[in-house]
Amino acid sequence: MISSQNEDRSLSTTRRYFFRQCRMGLGAIALATLLNEGRLEAGSEPSRSPSEGPFGPRPPHFAPRAKRVIFLFMAGGPSQLELFDWKPKLRELSGQQVPASYVEGKRFAFIGKDAKLLGTRREFKRHGKCGAEVSELLPHTASIVDDICILKSMQTDVFNHGPAKLVVNTGSPRFGLPSMGSWLTYGIGSLSQNLPGFVVLMSGPRGPRGGSPLWGSGFLPTTYQGVPFLSGPEPILNLKSPPGFCKKRQGDFTAAVRDLNTSRLDAVGDPEISTRIAAYEMAYRMQASAPELMDISGETPRTMEAYGAIPGKVSFANNCLLARRLVERGTRFVQLYHTDWDHHGNTDTNLDQPLGNICREVDQPAAALVRDLKERGLLDETLVVWGGEFGRTPMGETRDLLGRDHHIEGYSMWLAGGGVKGGQTIGATDELGFYSVEDRIHVHDLQATMLHLLGLDHKRLTFRFQGRDFRLTDVGGNLVSKILA
Amino acid sequence: MLLKPTIATLWVLVGSVLLAAEPVDFARDVKPILQARCHRCHGPAKQKAGLRLDAAALVVSGGNSGAAIVPGKSAESLLIHAVLGRKDVHAMPPEGPRLSPVEISLIEQWINEGAPLPLDEKVESAHATQSNHWAFQPVKRTTPPDVTNAGWIRNPIDNFILARLEKDRIEPSREADPVTLIRRLSFDLLGLPPRPEEVEAFLADSHPEAYMHLVKRLLASPHHGERWGRHWLDLARYADSNGYTIDGSRSIWKYRDWVINAINSNLSFEKFTIDQLAGDMLPGATLEQVIATGFHRNTMRNEEGGTDQEQFRIEAVADRVNTTASVFLGLTVGCARCHDHKYDPISQREYYELFALLNNADEPTIEVPTTHKMRELPALANELALAEKLLADNEPSVANRQEKWEKDLATQVEKLKEVPESVRGVLATEAQTRTEEQKNTIAEYYRSIDPFRLPVAQRVADLKGRQKQLSSSITTSLVMAERQDPRKTYVHIRGDFLRPGAMVNGAVPAVLPPLRTTSDRANRLDFARWLVDARNPLTPRVTMNRIWQQYFSHGIVSTENDFGTQGTPPSHPELLDWLANEFVSSGWDLKHIHWLIVTSATYRQSSHAREDLKEVDPYNRLLARQTRIRLEAETIRDAGLAVSGLLSDEIGGPGVYPPQPEGIYRFTQNPKYWKTGEGGDRYRRGIYIYYWRSSPYPLLATFDTPDATTACTRRPRSNTPLQALTLANDPAFVEMAKSLALRVLGEALPSDMDRLKLAFRLCFARTPLDEEVRRLSDFLDTQRTQFAGTPSDADAAAPQPLPPSIRPAEGAAWTAVARVMLNLDELITRE
Repeated sequence: MISSQNEDRSLSTTRRYFFRQCRMGLGAIALATLLNEGRLEAGSEPSRSPSEGPFGPRPPHFAPRAKRVIFLFMAGGPSQLELFDWKPKLRELSGQQVPASYVEGKRFAFIGKDAKLLGTRREFKRHGKCGAEVSELLPHTASIVDDICILKSMQTDVFNHGPAKLVVNTGSPRFGLPSMGSWLTYGIGSLSQNLPGFVVLMSGPRGPRGGSPLWGSGFLPTTYQGVPFLSGPEPILNLKSPPGFCKKRQGDFTAAVRDLNTSRLDAVGDPEISTRIAAYEMAYRMQASAPELMDISGETPRTMEAYGAIPGKVSFANNCLLARRLVERGTRFVQLYHTDWDHHGNTDTNLDQPLGNICREVDQPAAALVRDLKERGLLDETLVVWGGEFGRTPMGETRDLLGRDHHIEGYSMWLAGGGVKGGQTIGATDELGFYSVEDRIHVHDLQATMLHLLGLDHKRLTFRFQGRDFRLTDVGGNLVSKILA
Repeated sequence: MLLKPTIATLWVLVGSVLLAAEPVDFARDVKPILQARCHRCHGPAKQKAGLRLDAAALVVSGGNSGAAIVPGKSAESLLIHAVLGRKDVHAMPPEGPRLSPVEISLIEQWINEGAPLPLDEKVESAHATQSNHWAFQPVKRTTPPDVTNAGWIRNPIDNFILARLEKDRIEPSREADPVTLIRRLSFDLLGLPPRPEEVEAFLADSHPEAYMHLVKRLLASPHHGERWGRHWLDLARYADSNGYTIDGSRSIWKYRDWVINAINSNLSFEKFTIDQLAGDMLPGATLEQVIATGFHRNTMRNEEGGTDQEQFRIEAVADRVNTTASVFLGLTVGCARCHDHKYDPISQREYYELFALLNNADEPTIEVPTTHKMRELPALANELALAEKLLADNEPSVANRQEKWEKDLATQVEKLKEVPESVRGVLATEAQTRTEEQKNTIAEYYRSIDPFRLPVAQRVADLKGRQKQLSSSITTSLVMAERQDPRKTYVHIRGDFLRPGAMVNGAVPAVLPPLRTTSDRANRLDFARWLVDARNPLTPRVTMNRIWQQYFSHGIVSTENDFGTQGTPPSHPELLDWLANEFVSSGWDLKHIHWLIVTSATYRQSSHAREDLKEVDPYNRLLARQTRIRLEAETIRDAGLAVSGLLSDEIGGPGVYPPQPEGIYRFTQNPKYWKTGEGGDRYRRGIYIYYWRSSPYPLLATFDTPDATTACTRRPRSNTPLQALTLANDPAFVEMAKSLALRVLGEALPSDMDRLKLAFRLCFARTPLDEEVRRLSDFLDTQRTQFAGTPSDADAAAPQPLPPSIRPAEGAAWTAVARVMLNLDELITRE
């Protein structure tokens, strides 16, 4: 609720004022602990301690299984029929018109209702102890099937890229709602004092369709919006001190700003000034910690090889490695976008060579990430999500080359770590791979489950805006308990 | 599914009995069933889903989902699907047992018999929608209450504030010092800091009305329209691009300039509203009034391949409904798009009735000459006509002059040499024997040198060229145009435009005063006039509250976008109504309201925190003091540019492209045009920065500029490390620091101390405290020593070009000082 947000700000303002008066003695620290014990409740802004500002870690609704998230977003909509969802019947009927009963009353972005079925040319095998089916395009993913949980019955609401990406990130196809990472940092804060709590990394030929609203904070304070990292040693805008200002001078600058701000604080007593002082100090620390984060030269050759990372290159492999480094340093939510999975059947986007290429770009690093997290003991508390905004149709698209249209009725994703029961496949589509028929999982169900793993009840993590209590899962969302370990 | 065989079985058993009997009578057989189980939600008192079932005629006509029954065909009737819970319809009734098979079969039989209406059926009229919620009641005439400390009062606003404070025995704060007051007024009314000479003049002005004179001067400044225009543009969700994923560019800056001009000329809020909602429909609408309708063209447009254009047109109309309700009525009607509003008396049907009022416009693009050309184009046409007449008048005499020229040539060999050879050859031929072609050659040549004709011809060519140039660079703007042939509007069942329900006509929610229509069908213009009808209790209250919020950080109603039952009640209800009355009776005069607020004692209080208020009024709802407010994104940049002497004060025109960090467009689907502006365009005010919805100018986004997807009625004010990085390191701010350093070094001042004080006055209007001077002076000395030891750093940090009299280390040290000042909390705060 806006008003409670305001009141809460004033309340924390009052708290901060109190701290200033106490000059952060032992009593103040004890009080900070006390204040932090307030539990998150629906509709109220989480209490936060003055020393930590808006980013300080806050307790969730109940004991979490995961403390952080790495979301590998496969932008464009990967074809589940070439990767995870093996349909012999579809191959058998390939070239025939899709049965009318399947497409009655359906709308598609580009194809008509007379489209022909298209069987996959890729071969599938069973892998691991669990015997999960994975195609030849993803040999590395196939090698970690006992650690991941494949979801074959995903469903979403809309079939255009931008709106569908928004559904995954914000729960609604409309613009202007908070994204998952914002909800999370708003709800439970960040574990890092030197780096942003919500970071976005990108690779591939172009930015994802949808752009900044995908990591926007909507009506939540902008403090909680995702920070897109640029490639190179300075991932954040304006991270570098101006020419002529070395580290020492930047330190002198920060000290002078602090002293003069403190003097003003003493004169007018507005606690916002102490928040600003804290912001300058964190900014100063970030100037050192962000380049350190981006510098992967200290990683062992074995690690570099496992990911397929090459220093200085903008790649999904490098970003996977950076994601691990980020969560190691306390970032709460890391989202990696990799384009372009939109295989309609054009020269650069078809199910032959281009699909093979993008699978090679993604397969090894994603598997390496899961393995690396596991080896370092981080996987238990890190939830890894792999998937796109939708899947692709069982029907082929009549373009020059092999391709499929956007499909929202049944597609695949996978999860690993952070309280997820690995070594299983949940859900199934019908024999043509058209509709999810078993354990259907709507995007809202996935979101509710992700929040649950993070110790949050999706119905209680709300924010009042324009007269309504909004939440990530809109008006839906059911916990998928089969996912839980 | 389970029910069906049961019913069929029963049909055989019971049906035969029933069928044998006489036909079903609605009043006797059906109505009692419906009365017992349905009327509570579908009767005269309440019509959920717009449906009433208390009379046969109403059953036939149905509700939001369309007809409830199909006479003669019970199997196709919605009512039957509902009571059976079939076909994706919510099973009815939602509570208690289902209707019995016998009851259902009676209804089915009535339908199958053609659903005959009782002959003398009387339909009770629906109970009027009533609400005793405060915001829906007429604005009350309130009188300012008496107070004990009458000496504090400057105008009636203060009576309301002080009376409330006195009730809790709270003292108001002392008046802020004059320096704070002039800085506060400048930021609030113009969005700019005062210049040192303005501050000095104000301090030196001993006239008792000095404050009033200052307010008057500021309200008359053309920058006032930029400041308050920006607030309005937040509501209008103004941007220079289409939004969604492709986010192509659009030209609608003429609308932005219209807003600035309207506020500067103090257009009454009544006209301001009508022009923006329906300027195109006014008789004899001016170009300006049509441009004003750009208000509702600020909706987004989806250009992605494979999208359904009608779907996104409907999204835009829904946004117009939501925006209008939020901006003028302070209501959150969006909920009613899918179902009846849960808390406020707005039904889903009423939502679509509002929708119908805004659903009948085409969305054309018009050509608009820019202000510049508005002055020039008519003048140019006039000039051209004159020049062309002159040319024509000149024509008959050309032949005579040619004759004379030819004669002269015969005697003047020198002149003949200037004539091109081709013509000279022809001239050699005897005049009488020349062919037509030869005659033309000579005439054409002569016309090109005729001393009378030549300048006029050149002028005509020049004017034509300019006219062509101006016409081709005429700008365009997005506007509304009412359709002759009205669109039909339907209730969208559960908000899904693919599921049209009952057809509706334009109307306003029944809880509010009725709409007056000028024709048989209510339209957008009627609606616009209704919004500013003196009987409408919401528009003036909501508007006054939002203006109040800008001056005191929160409104009298703190939920400025929700005046419904879920909003917070007003802290000072009588004051809100007094302001609303004052607003309407002054002729919706905005500047009058600004005047009243800023000249009140309430506004003029100090913003310093007070120990005694921490417990009794921690949120400062009672206003026993002013509030420190962090400046808005644009104002932060404007303030930096102003104090460093860089700001361009040009008003209006197309969006500008100031320098921004590289790499911004890696995150957007398509790269955006951003040719960094030159000269003054680098330093224009923030309101003019080209706004790409998918990638706003980073400095603005970092400081909470709205995303322009929906109406923003209040900006959040975050306080983050990324803001610190921006002010500290953004090349634009470093440039300001260098410029400020140069400005201070350029003054003929005797000492560092004087320079520090000048810089301080430029930035904060006030004189620094001793401890502040000491700290800055220490800092200056350290920096000077450090830079002297590192010449290359000094060169990099010093302003360029540096006057020869100033050493680079000196320039660098002062840049460092200026940079500290530009990063202080006070610089970006209205105290």
